[in-house]
Amino acid sequence: MAGVLKLLLKPIKTIKKFSLLGKTSFIVILLILLVAIFAPCISIHPYNVSSGPPLSPPGGEHPLGTDELGIDLWAQICYGARVSLLVGFLTALLAALGGGLIGIVSGYLGGWTDKILMRIIDIMIVLPDLPVMIVMAAFFGPSLLNIILVLALFSWVFPARIVRSQVLMLKEQGYIKSAETYGAGAWYLIHRHFLPEVFPLVAVNMVRLTGRAVVAEAGLSFLGLGDPTSKSWGLIMHHAINFAGIYFTPFWKWWLLYPWLALTLMVISLAFISRELEKMADPRMGR
Amino acid sequence: MNKKRVTRLAEYFFTVWVIVTLNFLLPRAMPGDPFLYLSSDVGEEVIFSEEQRQYYLAYYGLDRPVGGQYLSYMSELLRGNLGHSLYYNEPVSHIILRRLAWTFFLVIAAVILSTFIGTVLGSISAWYREKWLDKFLFFNLIIMSEIPAFLLGLVLLFSFAAGLGLFPLSGAMTHFAGYENWWEKVLDILHHAFLPVIALTIARTGGMYLLSRNSVITVLEKDYLRTARAKGLSEKRVIFRHVLRNAMLPIVTRVFLSLGSLVGGAILVENVFAYPGLGHLMREAVMVRDYPLIQGIFLVVTICVLLANFIADFIYGKLDPRVNDYSETYGG
Amino acid sequence: MTADGKYLLEIKDLSVTYRAVHSPVKAVDGVSLQLRKGESLGIIGESGCGKSTLALGIMGLIKQGSIEGEIYYKDQKLTGLPEKKLKKYRWKDIALVFQNSLEVLNPVLNIKEQIGEPLKTHYNLSPPEIDQKVVKLLEMVGLNPKWRHYYPHQLSGGMRQRVLLAMALSCDPELLIVDEPTTSLDPLSKNEIVRLLQKLQKKLGFALVLISHDLGVIKKLTSRVMAMYCGQVIEAGITSEVLKNPMHCYTRGLLNSSPNLFKYKDLWGIDGEPSSGNSVKGCAFYPRCCQGEESCSQTRPLLKYVALERMVACHKGGIETFLRAEGIRKTYKLKNMEIEAVKDVSLEIRSGEVVALVGESGSGKSTLAHILAGVLPAEAGRVFYRNKKVEGRWATKMIGGMQIIFQDPFSATSHRMKVLDVVKEPLDIIKRGSKQEREEEAVKALQTVQLPVSPEFLDRYCHGLSGGQRQRLAIARALVTKPKLLIADEVTSMLDPSTQANLLRELKGLQNRHGFALLYITHDLHLARKVADKVYVMYKGEIVENGVSFEIFESPKHIYTKQLLKDVLSVSRDAPGS
Repeated sequence: MAGVLKLLLKPIKTIKKFSLLGKTSFIVILLILLVAIFAPCISIHPYNVSSGPPLSPPGGEHPLGTDELGIDLWAQICYGARVSLLVGFLTALLAALGGGLIGIVSGYLGGWTDKILMRIIDIMIVLPDLPVMIVMAAFFGPSLLNIILVLALFSWVFPARIVRSQVLMLKEQGYIKSAETYGAGAWYLIHRHFLPEVFPLVAVNMVRLTGRAVVAEAGLSFLGLGDPTSKSWGLIMHHAINFAGIYFTPFWKWWLLYPWLALTLMVISLAFISRELEKMADPRMGR
Repeated sequence: MNKKRVTRLAEYFFTVWVIVTLNFLLPRAMPGDPFLYLSSDVGEEVIFSEEQRQYYLAYYGLDRPVGGQYLSYMSELLRGNLGHSLYYNEPVSHIILRRLAWTFFLVIAAVILSTFIGTVLGSISAWYREKWLDKFLFFNLIIMSEIPAFLLGLVLLFSFAAGLGLFPLSGAMTHFAGYENWWEKVLDILHHAFLPVIALTIARTGGMYLLSRNSVITVLEKDYLRTARAKGLSEKRVIFRHVLRNAMLPIVTRVFLSLGSLVGGAILVENVFAYPGLGHLMREAVMVRDYPLIQGIFLVVTICVLLANFIADFIYGKLDPRVNDYSETYGG
Repeated sequence: MTADGKYLLEIKDLSVTYRAVHSPVKAVDGVSLQLRKGESLGIIGESGCGKSTLALGIMGLIKQGSIEGEIYYKDQKLTGLPEKKLKKYRWKDIALVFQNSLEVLNPVLNIKEQIGEPLKTHYNLSPPEIDQKVVKLLEMVGLNPKWRHYYPHQLSGGMRQRVLLAMALSCDPELLIVDEPTTSLDPLSKNEIVRLLQKLQKKLGFALVLISHDLGVIKKLTSRVMAMYCGQVIEAGITSEVLKNPMHCYTRGLLNSSPNLFKYKDLWGIDGEPSSGNSVKGCAFYPRCCQGEESCSQTRPLLKYVALERMVACHKGGIETFLRAEGIRKTYKLKNMEIEAVKDVSLEIRSGEVVALVGESGSGKSTLAHILAGVLPAEAGRVFYRNKKVEGRWATKMIGGMQIIFQDPFSATSHRMKVLDVVKEPLDIIKRGSKQEREEEAVKALQTVQLPVSPEFLDRYCHGLSGGQRQRLAIARALVTKPKLLIADEVTSMLDPSTQANLLRELKGLQNRHGFALLYITHDLHLARKVADKVYVMYKGEIVENGVSFEIFESPKHIYTKQLLKDVLSVSRDAPGS
């Protein structure tokens, strides 16, 4: 019980050490998270069916106005938060798990396995990810799952590299070497020594990966390659900017502005949180 | 050419081969009957006509054995044939060549501008470390570095182009404009490219700034800098020959390594500004399901990025004498 | 130029304070020095004592700190000079050979450019001229000129050191500061670098400031030396003199910790750590000093002349002389024969010093020891303990006085007495403190000599103890009065080798920790060679030779000493398995 409590207290303590900017960012993310969870409760109107006159400005019935089909924007943004967070978090989780595992294997085994994996990582880092994602989305269909898979495919290299270098460093430590002389196997070393050391780094990296994935999903949706059944923020913007004459009407002042604001706030907040965490993990990074 | 260079080159060839093969496999790995696929976009369901379906089946040679398909694909590619676009009814390579220059223009301009501005600001910040100027730059650029280019582009588009009318809303040149002389044309091109380039530049400058600031600070603390100062060298020489010469190394690596993500940013920004580069073309191709065109663009873009990285490797080897010597001991 | 100022470099009361995170650290604290043209000065001290900061201070390279005091170069005040003007002096007049490390040279510029760039800056030479000069410089430091096209990482440590030297000499400086030229080099390259520096200084005639913690290097390359502690100069003098006869406890400690000065002697580091802050009000070395007294922590000692060409910063004027004997004589009358056991012997023992009195059996060593301790009366001559004439028993019956341990452990302690009683006997006699306190002191003394302190052991009678135990007991009894001087007369000669080794190490360890002086009387030269700082050689009642132990053992002058060493050491060398 005490252990669980400690585990819960630790993030709170970490956040307490954040700068003002970091704390604000954390609150923003927390708000977005709450909005996503309670989306059905806080939006009166449905997010996919028309509920009022098209293109009505914010105010009254529709606090953020409606789009060209008369769908409530506030509801779309609430449900869009779900998509963004889901894509971001699942991608980060998948990439962290896969990348972490590959990093441990690569670092621990060394030799040919390591060489080959490092080459693959080198290639993946150089490859322009968006064109590949576009091609994949074009060929395999733009379902949310596909998007998550493609994003994860391009994200695992970051945790993999971090974990690998950490494992390489750990392998040289006396306590690992002595554990090996006592006959510790790979599995023992991994779950007893490597994972606990590597976990915080990967956890910190996950925040950054989440941010990346959110941006990538928004970009794909903005191009019209997102999952058409899920109203993500990028998709709202896609519709807005493709609305003929959007430049010459005041519609963009809500139709485009609010999803834009939501997305920017979320991306920047995630970035700041990850920056704060990275600074704590390695004080030299943030100087 | 030493052993290290050769293996590096071999790696690049291998990567290119992987991408080319991936490109070959993609349409064949599509779930179900690939060419019955429905468009994603809500509202507009594009169903391939029978005519189109037959065309694609023949085009990809899906009726022949895979080995043969692969061979003919590779030989066509080596001859520079990227396929034929159904929508434009034109060889893919021709279409791409027409559009490539615009993307190059945006990307290169953004790379040069962001690297220059970022490095200069970063060096200034490092030099005046912990002073108010450093803190001011750090705070502002850190925020800028986190906003994706296309979101920035949207702001620029709606404020400066749509709102204030200072810049054109779309395109790379004014249509049907009769230019009096060449510089009027250049000015028009610059006028159109200004906002997209600025969006890409701003989004990248923050990263370059942080990197160069960090890099310069690291170099400033090195022993060899004290040596240089002790020698009574001029401040100019210390800064350029000793500080920047060393601080440059990670910057060069980053410039090329991040090219991939910059291309991604450029694709999105082009679509924001309806700029007629490859990114815009790619979206058009996706919208009309012009598979050969999509694949062609994908291939050209990735290979360009790889090429740039290969050049970077080469330059880096020239810049840092340590690189080639350590290959034996550290295995690259 | 030097008409008026006689010094090439003069530093007056220089202090460097680093602005550290928590509190400012005074790395150099009121250092003054003078250096004439062509002179060589060594600066020694533990790491962190401010040696390197001083060098950077002279070059005007202190970035994160503030400088007080004045530096003059040929009467030109360097401190307070604007950076631009200072640059003109750097390298052209004062050059610095930095401590060797992988990053001391710019990794991306080749050797030629790095050696050549000061030439371009200061003399504006053309590229071919620079190339010529670089070739000449490399040849001068004994490096093949082809290396000029290489990069720093392609060079070995020794080669890098040569490059650093060539770089420093590129503008023919009049003053060369060399910072730790031999650390991280193997012995072979080390010797080469030292010889090279010797040769170059003779040839080029630059003045040399050599910073090193390697006293061997200092000895070979410098004529004067300064010892620094916590940023302060605590001793200065002629190198050979200082190394032979250090007058400050710290300098002596440095000597004792140097493996390369005298190979056979055991290494003994200075106890404790230098205090990090600069809040020390009194003597900075006080916490680690073996002769420190409460008063030392009150005021800061000034650097004062204590002898010709020798300055020491110590409230006690350097290492105190504890025992001084002058003209001691003793004759035994046996029937008709008179045997002159001790003939006009003089000797001196200083605080914290191990003095070995060696000689064959019957040379009068024990007699002398007994006279010094006041056990035997002398016929002539005087003994002074801490500058007070020893008369009667006052020097041995006090706390913090002088104690003697006798040769025979069995007769030294009464076999009828219990262990505890033996040890606390001196305290009982001088009636110090309560019974309880005495017992506590006794137990402590027993612990110091690593004897058991169980009630059962304390209650044992001495006759049940072994020789080694009884000798320890005797030592414990001597230590219980916290002596400042211990005279140990052949204390280990009756013991088996293993017990002897243990006891001797313990004694030396105690001496190093508590800092008492030890007169160690032995006929065993091997033992003497291991522990002694100074040696007196006694032959037929006379001191035939005395001096610093490494000199005596490595280059004896007296014929008897030579013979003694030859016999003893060659026998042991020839004997297999000994």
